[in-house]
Amino acid sequence: MSAFKNLDPLLHSQLRLAVMSLLIGVDSAEFVFIKEKTGATAGNLSVQLDKLSTAGYISVAKTFKGKKPLTTCSITRVGIKAFEEYVNTLKQYIE
Amino acid sequence: MSNKELTTDESLDLITNMIGQAKRNLARGGSFYFLLWGWVVMLANLGHYLIDKYDWYEHPYIVWAATIPAGIASMIYGARHDRKAAVRSHLDRLYGLIWMAVFIGVLIILFFMADVSYNVNAIILTFAGIGTFISGCALRFNPLILGGIALWISSIIAFNLDLTDQYLAGAIGILAGYLIPGYLLKRVERERI
Repeated sequence: MSAFKNLDPLLHSQLRLAVMSLLIGVDSAEFVFIKEKTGATAGNLSVQLDKLSTAGYISVAKTFKGKKPLTTCSITRVGIKAFEEYVNTLKQYIE
Repeated sequence: MSNKELTTDESLDLITNMIGQAKRNLARGGSFYFLLWGWVVMLANLGHYLIDKYDWYEHPYIVWAATIPAGIASMIYGARHDRKAAVRSHLDRLYGLIWMAVFIGVLIILFFMADVSYNVNAIILTFAGIGTFISGCALRFNPLILGGIALWISSIIAFNLDLTDQYLAGAIGILAGYLIPGYLLKRVERERI
């Protein structure tokens, strides 16, 4: 029997996993979209996006929509790999 | 939603739920392009055919000038749609790339029209068929897949006609390949909203 791997602590948190699951299905998403779908507060979401971005799991682009600042996020190759590994480890636990 | 740690079951539920949330926001607005280009190209084909057939005017190709405002309208619509959308799906991206590739192909053919003995219409119908067929496959929308096939059939017919009659084949092909599937797609988009 193969040893159980530890779940990636960066992904094994409710909000960060929700963000990654949202981004895995789309090309890119705006901050407001992620906030609406996760129901998180803006402050908490910003902090968690920073953590994912620092780890290289997502890329965050800050631009402007008219005069309003616009934050757009998309998952990176590193993020996709980490997400796939997380799901595979999860499968091991369930099996 | 908080930062709490999850059990394995909670993790799976969350992943499934969030992927479902993203799915519900898939590409909309595709029918606009099929209807706009369907009407413009069908009427331009018919116009070119009638003017040429009945010798109404010595420069029948002038009708194709209608594609310039249609191109501008497409760009404005696309830019507005992108601005409004808070999320961009993989399908949105693919959709844009498919039609950009078709557009580049059409430009190349128009540039070398003398080298293809002015059979541009028949060749453009082949390209339009490719774009429509792949769009239909990406959207899993059968009327568009059949529309792509209709465009290819009209292209084969056009290759067997003289240059003037090719425009009539083009008009019928565009009606079957763009307009009919375009209206069916619009109906589905309305039901989804």
